[in-house]
Amino acid sequence: MRRRGSAVVATVLLLAITACESKSESDGEGAPAASTEPIVVGSTLSLSGAFAATGAIHKIAGEQFVARLNAKGGLLGRQVQWVVRDDESDQAKVSTLYEQLISQERVDLIIGPYATPNILSAMAVAQRHGYTMPHHTSVLAPLMTYECQFPGWSIGPKPNEFVPNQLFDAVASLPNPPKKVAILTNQNGSTDFVSYGSQSDQTGAVSIAKQRGLTVAPEIRYPPSTTDWAPLAAQVRDAAPDLVINHGLGVDPVNLLQAMAQLGYKPPLMFSLFPAPGPPLGLGPAAEGLLSVTIFEPNKSTLDKLGKEATEIVEEFKTRATDAKLPYTVFETQAAASWTAWEILVAAVERSGGLDQKAMCDKLHSDGADTTFNGHLDFDPAVHNFWRTTQQIKQIQSKDWVTVWPADRAAAKLQGPPAA
Amino acid sequence: MITIQSALTGLLLGGLYALMAAGVSVTWGVLRIINLAHFGMILISAYLTFQLASDWGLDPILTLAVTVPAMFVAGGALQWAYDRLGISELNSLLASFGLLIVIVQLVSNVWSADFQRMSAAVNPYATASVGIGRLVFPVTTLLAFLVAVAFIAAAELVLRRTFAGRALRAFAEDRTIASAFGIDHRRLGIVLGGLSGATAAVAGMLFALANALTPATAFEWFGIVFAVVILGGIGHLTGTLAAGLLVGALSGVVSVLLSPAAAPFVLFTAIVLALLLRPRGLFVRAAQ
Repeated sequence: MRRRGSAVVATVLLLAITACESKSESDGEGAPAASTEPIVVGSTLSLSGAFAATGAIHKIAGEQFVARLNAKGGLLGRQVQWVVRDDESDQAKVSTLYEQLISQERVDLIIGPYATPNILSAMAVAQRHGYTMPHHTSVLAPLMTYECQFPGWSIGPKPNEFVPNQLFDAVASLPNPPKKVAILTNQNGSTDFVSYGSQSDQTGAVSIAKQRGLTVAPEIRYPPSTTDWAPLAAQVRDAAPDLVINHGLGVDPVNLLQAMAQLGYKPPLMFSLFPAPGPPLGLGPAAEGLLSVTIFEPNKSTLDKLGKEATEIVEEFKTRATDAKLPYTVFETQAAASWTAWEILVAAVERSGGLDQKAMCDKLHSDGADTTFNGHLDFDPAVHNFWRTTQQIKQIQSKDWVTVWPADRAAAKLQGPPAA
Repeated sequence: MITIQSALTGLLLGGLYALMAAGVSVTWGVLRIINLAHFGMILISAYLTFQLASDWGLDPILTLAVTVPAMFVAGGALQWAYDRLGISELNSLLASFGLLIVIVQLVSNVWSADFQRMSAAVNPYATASVGIGRLVFPVTTLLAFLVAVAFIAAAELVLRRTFAGRALRAFAEDRTIASAFGIDHRRLGIVLGGLSGATAAVAGMLFALANALTPATAFEWFGIVFAVVILGGIGHLTGTLAAGLLVGALSGVVSVLLSPAAAPFVLFTAIVLALLLRPRGLFVRAAQ
C-alpha cells in the first residue's frame, strides 16, 4: 500500500516537473513565432525613496511608450507587458529584484532602472545572465563596462571633459566672458567626477578651468545631506565670481540661489549640472538666466524639426503627468532618455527578429538604433556603447527652459549677465 | 565676517532643528514613547502648507490656522492609540516607524514623489532677509528661531508653574506614585501628544517656507533631530533648544573654516564625545 502511494506521489511529481519544463521552454528564448503570449519586459524603478522624484517621470514615460507600442501592434506581432517593481531607491533591492525577474519570473526582456548606482547594480545581474540591458540615465561611461548595456543618455565616453568644455565654450562666446569661476560640487558619484575626474583620469571642471586660464575661487565640495546653504552662499558672495558652476543634483541650485538671494546677492551667471527642472522655475527672478544641460527640450523650433510624432508624444506625456499629479509635466531630458532606452530595446528585438539576448546585443552593435529624440545611434563596445552626445545647454529665459548651445541647434540665443 | 555670518545663520537654523526635536523629546522623556511618526506629522504639515498656500493663495504662515488644530488632534489620537494598545518604549519605536512609512507612502500617493515647492508668488519669505550692516538674517530661519524660543519658553513656564505641568513632571519621574496621587496620566498624555502634534505643524510650515518637499525628506531629518534630542537631554526642552542652536552654529562654522563636507564628521564626532562625557545630555544637571 505504502509502495503504491509512493509510486503515485512520484508520478505526480514527475508530471509536475515535466509541465514546468515545458512551460520554461515556451517562455524562454526563441519562443515560437505563433505565440500569442505577451512579451514581458521586467525592470525596477525608484518609485519611493531618494530617487522617487525622477523615478515617477520614467514610469510615466515607460507606460506611455508601451501603450503606443501595443497600439501599433506590439513587438514581433505580440503585445508587450511591462512588469515594473519598486526598488525603493535601494541598490541592494535592485540586485535582488532583477535576479527575481530574470531567474524566477523569467521575463523575456529587461530595461534598466533609474539612477547610476541602481543601474550599476542591475547591470551586474544582467551581465551574469547574459541579458541585453538598455538603461535610461547612467552617464558614468568608465564604469559601464558590460558590453550589452546600452545607454539612453550619453555625454560621450568622457563626461568629465565634455561637460566643462561645452560650458566654457558656450560662455566664451559671450561679449564679456567670465574670468573667475566658483565651483561648488555635490559629493554624489554622478556629480563629483565632473569636477574632479576619477582615480584613473583626474581631469574635470577644476583642472580644465585652470588650463583655460580661469581663476577658480571658491572651490567647495559639499555632502549630499547639506541643509545649511548659507555658508556656501556667503563664500561665493564674498569671492564675487563671474560664473558659479554648481555640479549638483535635484534642488541644490534652488537652495543655493535662495541662500544667495537672502544675502542680497545674485551671481552674474550660474550653471547647474543635474537639477530637477521644475523647482528653479518657481523661484522667479532669482533663477532667471540659470544654465543647465539637456538632451531635449520641447521648444517649438525643436519640435518643428522633429515632426508630428514628437509633438504627439510630448502632449500625451503632459496629460499623463498631469493625471499623475506631477508638478512639472514637461517632456524633457529624463523622459527623453527613458524614451530613447525603450526605443533601443525595440530596435534590438526587431533587428534581431527574436528574443535571443546575444543576437539582440550583436545587432545593436552592428546596426545601431533609430530614435525619435536623438536620431540614429551607433554603439561601439570600445567606448562602452556611449554614442556621440546630443547634449546641449539650456537656460531659463522668461521663466521657461530653452536650449541655447550649441548655437546651430539652439532655440534661443545664450544670454549673459545684464550690463552693470 | 563670513564665519560670523555662517555661525549666525546656522544658529537661526538651529531653531528649526529644536522645534522639530521638541515634540520627539517631550513624548520620549515624559510619555516614554519614541514617536517616529512625529516626522510624518511634520511632513504632512509641510505639504498642507504648500497645498493651502498654492491653491487658496493663503499666506503660508496663516495656514497654521488649519494645520495646528489638525495636527493637535492627530497627535492626541496617536497618543491615545499608543496608550490603549499598551505599547512599550521599545515597541513604540517599531510601531511609529511603520506608521511613518505608511505616512510617507500616503504623501507620495497624494502629492507624487516629485519635488513640490511654493512659488515665489505665494511665498515671499523664501528669499527675504533682514540686514544689519554686513550681517544678514534670512527671514525663514529668523522666524524658526523666534518661534522655537517663544514656544520652548512658554512650554517651560507651563511645565514649572502650572498644576498640569507639575503633574506631567511627576508622571515622568514615577508613573505609579503619580497615579496614586490621582494624576490622570491618560488625559494628560493625550494633551501632551496633541501639543507635540501642534509643534509638528509649526515645524512643517517653517520647513516648507524655505525648502522643496519630497516624501523622502522625512528620513533626512532623523540624524540631526535625534542628535539634538540626545544632546539636549531627553525630555528637557531648554536643553533641546540649546542643543539645536549649538548644532546649527557648529555646522555653519565648520562649513566655512574647514569644508561643508567636514561638517557632518565634526558634528557627529563632537556629539559622540559630548555623550561620553555627559551621557544624560549636555544641558542636564548631574543631580537630576
